[in-house]
Amino acid sequence: MIIKPNIIEAVNSLVSAKQRSILALIGIVVGIGSVIAMVSVGSIVQKEALRQFMEMGTDVITISEEFSADNSKKNKKLNIQTAMAIPGHCPSIRVASPYASTYAQFKFKGKKDNIPALGVTPSFLTINKLNIDSGRFIHELDRHMFYCVIGQKVADKLAAQGVYDPVGTRIFFKEKQMTIIGKIREAPMGGMRPYEINEGIMLPLSTLQRLDREAAIRNIIARSRDNAARDQIESEVNAYLSQQNLNGMKVRTAEELIAQMQKQMKLFTLLLGTIGSISLVVGGIGVMNVMLVSVAERTKEIGIRRALGAREGDILFQFLVESVLLCIVGGFMGIAIGVGASWIISYYAKWQFAVSYNSIGLGVAVAVAVGVFFGIYPARQAARLSPILALRSD
Amino acid sequence: MIQLENIHKSFQMGPVTVEVLKGASLTIGQGQLMAIVGQSGCGKSTLMNIIGLLDQPTSGTYTLNGKAVAAMNDKDLSEIRNRQIGFVFQQFNLLTKLTALQNVALPLVYRGVGEKERHQAARAVLEKVGMLEREHHRPTELSGGQQQRVAIARALVGNPAIILADEPTGALDTRVGQEIMDLFIRLNREEGITIFVITHDMAIARQCSSFVRMHDGVIHDH
Repeated sequence: MIIKPNIIEAVNSLVSAKQRSILALIGIVVGIGSVIAMVSVGSIVQKEALRQFMEMGTDVITISEEFSADNSKKNKKLNIQTAMAIPGHCPSIRVASPYASTYAQFKFKGKKDNIPALGVTPSFLTINKLNIDSGRFIHELDRHMFYCVIGQKVADKLAAQGVYDPVGTRIFFKEKQMTIIGKIREAPMGGMRPYEINEGIMLPLSTLQRLDREAAIRNIIARSRDNAARDQIESEVNAYLSQQNLNGMKVRTAEELIAQMQKQMKLFTLLLGTIGSISLVVGGIGVMNVMLVSVAERTKEIGIRRALGAREGDILFQFLVESVLLCIVGGFMGIAIGVGASWIISYYAKWQFAVSYNSIGLGVAVAVAVGVFFGIYPARQAARLSPILALRSD
Repeated sequence: MIQLENIHKSFQMGPVTVEVLKGASLTIGQGQLMAIVGQSGCGKSTLMNIIGLLDQPTSGTYTLNGKAVAAMNDKDLSEIRNRQIGFVFQQFNLLTKLTALQNVALPLVYRGVGEKERHQAARAVLEKVGMLEREHHRPTELSGGQQQRVAIARALVGNPAIILADEPTGALDTRVGQEIMDLFIRLNREEGITIFVITHDMAIARQCSSFVRMHDGVIHDH
């Protein structure tokens, strides 16, 4: 294999046909760029999701009512007492916090907005690993009181209306006056944390149920004891709930959700990779076209080289090096663009950016593969030219 | 050294088969400066392509240094072209993107010779043809005679057994053509290089140590 002279030759040839090379590159750059962006965004999202779970802890469990129209009528509703008694009846559960949610009008100084609200118990704070920015969280003694704890978004709204220290401020929620007793620091979303924490307000569960009779306890967030096994948690919880004549509740552990999420991400990555591959095929055809033109233009040169002793294999290799080189140049540009794009996406989505070295390796490998695959046909055509016919051509 | 016996070559031109070589026989001995003269279309170029292993005869035997050529594959043929044959063409056929030095060194690339040695060997033959001071010029920056000298250097660089020159003076004016012929004569006398010249010009043929005539696909000793 004559590598160095062929590489020099290929560089010269590509440079001398600059415009054509650049046009052919665009397809490859876009193709590899999108594959890299997709694969690396995929892995960033996956890491981000896992990071959120890690931050929440892997002992989080949710017990939720399954969405099913029929069951809601027949089944007995979960009440606070039953929910609060779960840790007592299920040894694998350390602590449990039932919550209910509603969506209603929030009013402050004549400004109205619809926001979500959660009815929670005091242990909701620690189970969700939330932090108090100012004031305090809901207490046992706040039962039925019109007190609320606000999330970041509501705090921002109040700040826009000139209230920078919201604790003690009175607001209206669902036409009832409430006093803000605390503010929660913005918590990262994901994992099993209810989204309403940052978006809305939190009230004592009993207060919320007084405000909205329809707001049933549909979810319990809990933590297991000593990383109890999933099966054990599930059987204990189900046994207790069916003893209470409660059916149609689904237990989910963090472990299960992570596995499910990973499976989804894999599918997502695969799908995006496929889309990228299609653009690569289009780019590859562009490269093949350029190479065919290059072979046609250099027929005479091929004849001369053959007369000077180049074997078929030497000619094949020469053109293959050229197309692979073209694709590798495109590949590196594509990697740069893909990594850049995923940086921009993660910057705006506020994900932790990480360069996925696998995706860079993949980019180079794909570039070489495209170069070989789409270069082999033109290169074979060049190699198989009859020396005498090639030499005679103009 | 080169032995052609009863060589036939025909081409298929659509439905018609044209026989260009009709039983040509020829022997070229070591150290000869031999010419073959004939009018255009008599088949001398076809003969040279066969001798140069760029084309295969339809029938007949070609023996090169005691070896029958017919049984060889592409790899063998390429190797012989590379090591035993040096071509000089009417239109020089230098690669325009390469400098004189790179053009001359090109046959050695296919032998896997390293760049330093390639350039050393190329400089040595460029000096022989008086073109060393132009080593970094590209073909377009050289006159026809200079290009042909570079082409001769390229043919010489691999120490071939024979140089095949197809109308080497055909694209040059008489004076420059004579310089090229003088170069051939000198290389043949001083270095003992075997040279086979194809020409339609009797003035060229007469300067060679021997010549044969070709007419209508057959070679006649004169």
